[in-house]
Amino acid sequence: MPVFEGRVTIVQESRFQAIDDHGVAQLFLLSPRAAAEPGQLASLAKTQARVRVRFSSAHNVIGYLAHCIDVRDEGAARVRKEISS
Amino acid sequence: MNFPVSSQDDAGQALQKYSEWDGSTYYGRAQLKSAPFENLVVGGYIFLAGLSGSAAILAALADLAGGKSAASLVRRGRYLGLLAPVIGSALLVYDLHTPKRFYNMLRVAKSTSPMSIGTWILVSFSASVGLSAAAQAASDFWPQQRWSGWTARVFGVPAAIAGMGMSTYTASLLAATSTPLWAAAPQALAVRFGASSMAAAASALSLGEPSDGIRPKLDAITGVALATEAVAAMVLHEAYGKMGVRDALDSPSGRLEKAGATQLGVVLPLGLLAVSALAGRHRRGGLSGLAALAVLAGSAMLRVSVMGAGDVSAERPDVSFRFTQPRNMPRR
Amino acid sequence: MNFHPRTLEHTQSDLDHVIPNESELTAGTLIEPGKSYGFFTDTTVCIGCKACEVACKEWNNLPADNLGMTGQSFDNTGALSANTWRHVAFVEKKGGCGVRADIETPYQSGWLMMSDVCKHCHNAPCLEACPTGALFKTEFDTVVVQQDICNGCGYCVPACPFGVVDLSANDGKAHKCTLCYDRLKGGLEPACAKSCPTDSIQFGELEILQARAQERVEHLHQRGVTDAYLYGTPGAPGSTGGLGHLNAFFLLTDRPEVYNLPVAPTRPANRVKPSLISGLAAVAGLALAATIVLASQERR
Repeated sequence: MPVFEGRVTIVQESRFQAIDDHGVAQLFLLSPRAAAEPGQLASLAKTQARVRVRFSSAHNVIGYLAHCIDVRDEGAARVRKEISS
Repeated sequence: MNFPVSSQDDAGQALQKYSEWDGSTYYGRAQLKSAPFENLVVGGYIFLAGLSGSAAILAALADLAGGKSAASLVRRGRYLGLLAPVIGSALLVYDLHTPKRFYNMLRVAKSTSPMSIGTWILVSFSASVGLSAAAQAASDFWPQQRWSGWTARVFGVPAAIAGMGMSTYTASLLAATSTPLWAAAPQALAVRFGASSMAAAASALSLGEPSDGIRPKLDAITGVALATEAVAAMVLHEAYGKMGVRDALDSPSGRLEKAGATQLGVVLPLGLLAVSALAGRHRRGGLSGLAALAVLAGSAMLRVSVMGAGDVSAERPDVSFRFTQPRNMPRR
Repeated sequence: MNFHPRTLEHTQSDLDHVIPNESELTAGTLIEPGKSYGFFTDTTVCIGCKACEVACKEWNNLPADNLGMTGQSFDNTGALSANTWRHVAFVEKKGGCGVRADIETPYQSGWLMMSDVCKHCHNAPCLEACPTGALFKTEFDTVVVQQDICNGCGYCVPACPFGVVDLSANDGKAHKCTLCYDRLKGGLEPACAKSCPTDSIQFGELEILQARAQERVEHLHQRGVTDAYLYGTPGAPGSTGGLGHLNAFFLLTDRPEVYNLPVAPTRPANRVKPSLISGLAAVAGLALAATIVLASQERR
């Protein structure tokens, strides 16, 4: 199964967008068989956590089906923002 | 084009003034979405639910009114009742698109949702018929003791009451949607499903019936149920025409409904049972067995074909628009 | 900890506060829990730009779907679906003999455009059908599917009389317009209404919208657009058969079917009682017959 690694930037219900190290954004839909629940995603976007997503192609949409989400680091978007400002 | 401007008009009367629909659609695109059910799976559940529910009813009635010769009928009826809890509920969970959350069905009880009503009917039926069948099994293995016979009888009563719901609530499940063919005649569909359930259960039980005294009685029950189903089917088709949804039957599912559910499942077995009753004792076994198989096949085909024809009616905008014309509004 | 610069763009979407009168500035209404909100879609000023479709997809992070051309005027979206919560319909009206009419009455009468959306029915059939309680009425009188509860039974799909709710083949849950529930909670006007450049989509308090729509119809009638009428207001087509009013209602200039809308939809829940009672009565009758047969003396 292909793997994507990047930071979560947007979360809506069970859909999330993540940006990889090359600045490429991908849209993922949470598979009904994934262990993660939609409610767990929101906090990932808030801190822009780095995740490793195992995914497969999705039916009739531009986006992928996320089967397994591994959190690599919790992210610290807020902290970073405060430092830069 | 003469829609009223005033928003105070009474909808029921104001709509009667509208000119008839001229047949225009939006590029022939579907106006409704068809149910995302797998018709073989859900149709199969509806068949098993009816079969089990009615089998539990017949078991309880035979237990209370049938006398000693009905012992085998009672026993097999209780076991047949296990089909819906065991296989049927597995089919239902399989048809969910997020099966791991099946237990969310038990979060609420809603009188507006036949699927919620049905969930609770299935739960109570499973519990009572399960206990009744377990007690039956206990008395089959250890015939000496008495308590299990009484337990089976006691739990057989709630099983029969829930079985009435199992036999027919699935028609409400289909009727309480916006799918035109299912919604066109809620009462007639419910009577047809209920009668088909009873016919299927009596047929299935007659197949293994050892008593020559009981088998004709089961055949008679099948005959009465089939006659009821035939009348309901006629009323139903009359309503399909009146509500403008008959075109949906001009499809493979519609042809299955006609040839499989009606001809094979009702007309043929009614004829066979009539011949068998006239022929008397000697030919009886073969003909009634054949009739029973036809009834079971027809009952299953009825559910699957109604599911399929409903999908066609939802996907065809001409059918759905004809169904939602003001003249089809319920009278008050 | 490495962050690609593009991730920076997104930190702005997580504001630490909301502008208190934001919706008053953009839509002229305050958003307060307990009041009824909805959309008034005036199709006579729709220009078919699909900004609403795009804004909806962007805000709700919905994937593009149905790639390809339909050949049906400018409509390549096709229909509302699990991933498409606004759909602009395009109708090119023909004159006689299949050719386009050469005389046109005022207000885009030859080329109709209409931004379709979930109607957020007063007696919502999807909500009434939902066996898990995943569908619920929000504090803004809108209808929303809770994604953490929906188990994908799909019963809301055939329940909807407008063909709106859809089950996603990908994530196995039912989806439809939430009337931007998250934005309303933050005091923001829904994305589609905010992006509409002609105010064809108006967001607001339902009673105010209904009065404004009525005024608009009367105004259009005076200007010679005698076909204009409302769809989904109390007593009008669309809000029939026990559905009650529709929180998202429309001003149309042709029969509803032309826009793929039913004239007189009905409330499915009204069919539960008659079908249950007649079914149970039939089974009870047959059970009585069976009792008589079973209790009778054996013939031989």
